[in-house]
Amino acid sequence: MKVNIKKELKENQTVLFIMPSQDYNRDVVKVVKSLKGNIGYVTLNKTFDSLKETFKKAKVKTENILFIDAISKTIKSVPDQTEGCYYVSSPGSLTEISIAIDRIIKHEFDYLIFDSLTNMLVYESKAPVAKFVSSLVNKIRGSKTKAVFYALDVKEQAALIEQSGMFVDKVIELK
Amino acid sequence: MAKLIMVVDDEDDIRNTVKTILEAQGYKVVTAINADDCLEKLKKNKPDLILMDIMMPGTPVREAVPKIKQKIAYLSVVRTSEAEKEELMKSKNIVDFIQKPFDVKELVKRVGKLTGK
Repeated sequence: MKVNIKKELKENQTVLFIMPSQDYNRDVVKVVKSLKGNIGYVTLNKTFDSLKETFKKAKVKTENILFIDAISKTIKSVPDQTEGCYYVSSPGSLTEISIAIDRIIKHEFDYLIFDSLTNMLVYESKAPVAKFVSSLVNKIRGSKTKAVFYALDVKEQAALIEQSGMFVDKVIELK
Repeated sequence: MAKLIMVVDDEDDIRNTVKTILEAQGYKVVTAINADDCLEKLKKNKPDLILMDIMMPGTPVREAVPKIKQKIAYLSVVRTSEAEKEELMKSKNIVDFIQKPFDVKELVKRVGKLTGK
């Protein structure tokens, strides 16, 4: 990944990273490693435990990260909240996800990572997802938080990527 | 006699693709669109193996599994930790955990092994 993430986020408040699927897991670690400050991390494809395991292996500290996990509740019994993580019902629970993100914004986190729009599309159709992204970007504009959205580079979802690209400040292809 | 496989997945593409692949290998295949549909179809079908997506709309898979006697192999697009995977595999009828996207040859091999074909 040749993109200077720090520089891009200095110049833009909201960016959409289009990631090749083969490099996806590597890129996810690189982005988090490059960010200094408090991070709110919304995960729609890996459990909180799985992400912690991944970051630990990559020697990424997670003390400064608050996770919003929309996966674990669908596969196991978990509370609504533990230290370092809010659990929401499913990747399709847009309202719950939105409420959890509001807390991140309200507490003035430095960064919000949304991983990923691609997974949200598995549970919701394109129109509500686009509306969700638009509304979220508007909320972020009124805050000091910078947001990074991920999407996989898959041609089936080109339309949503194009639409979401209109809402964010910059679309960056990580090739 | 051909072995019967039930493919349970809310994604049409996955259901149809896996059905086509397994039928080409000589299996009989029935499909279900979620855990509720699976439970309903199990009243009339006795599959040798159920390939089940771990995360689908409707009744959560973890609530449906205890009601199923047949062997189940999970199909998962979700990434879990090793400990979570072990936990998910604890039910004695869960016999495999297949990560999506899966390799077709590998899937055929694993289904063959699990059904004794």
